[in-house]
Amino acid sequence: MTKTFTYDDVVRYLYAETSPQENNEIVEALTSDSDMLAFYLDALELQTQMDRIVRTPPSRVTDNVLRYSRQYPSSQTADLSI
Amino acid sequence: MQKFQVSDSELVSLYIRGDEKAFEKLVLRHKSRIYTTIYLIVKDQYVAEDLMQDTFIKAVDTIKQGRYNEEGKFLPWIVRIAHNLAIDYFRRDKRYPSVVFEDGSSVFNTLDFSEDSVESIQIRQETHEQLREMIQRLPEVQRQVLIMRHYEEMSFQEIADATGVSINTALGRMRYALINLRKQFSQRTPQYDKNVYLR
Repeated sequence: MTKTFTYDDVVRYLYAETSPQENNEIVEALTSDSDMLAFYLDALELQTQMDRIVRTPPSRVTDNVLRYSRQYPSSQTADLSI
Repeated sequence: MQKFQVSDSELVSLYIRGDEKAFEKLVLRHKSRIYTTIYLIVKDQYVAEDLMQDTFIKAVDTIKQGRYNEEGKFLPWIVRIAHNLAIDYFRRDKRYPSVVFEDGSSVFNTLDFSEDSVESIQIRQETHEQLREMIQRLPEVQRQVLIMRHYEEMSFQEIADATGVSINTALGRMRYALINLRKQFSQRTPQYDKNVYLR
């Protein structure tokens, strides 16, 4: 019996949470449902855009973190030689 | 996910043995993802900077004191710390700080615009800024799932477990988040060149 795919399945497919067999079936389903295909393509574009809005913190933030680690009191460090 | 020559687990092991350079690599490798996750929750760059620092300090304390579980994965672990700190801040203050945007120069410094025209850079920056605002305007439950899945790389099952809902509810929230973003994009884009934006 042919499985009916939902938009939630497309969301799982978008985030690579579907099995290889489901992938083939979803691709098939997308080609026969233009609304679902439009949703998928838009979601794919949004996914790409969301990857691009990644922000980078100022270097002083990472510098503070690295300094904190370097100056960490040895008295508080776990003894790994035991 | 991006693949690196030296894995996170190897770097953590080196760091546990006192290699500060290994820790520096971990920080540089993951700082943007962690910072973005926090920023999208708290909506304020200065608070995000403080919480990012707190996140790594907590990680340093845990690792240096021998309490880090080496069987787990570093990125999901530290992103969870960041997420919890951001949510704690949000709950503690019981308010949403107004969105603070810096000038465009540092916002997009992870992107390579060298071959683009000034105009296309500006349009892209505005698009990205719009998208950030749109994500921040999503209903809380949708924004939460979107951040957890997209930026924290949790599976839908993990999100369902963490938020106490069924996987179908988590998937539904993500679907509505995407639909809402798509709708907002289509409403806002006509003021610019339609070819640049989503339908």
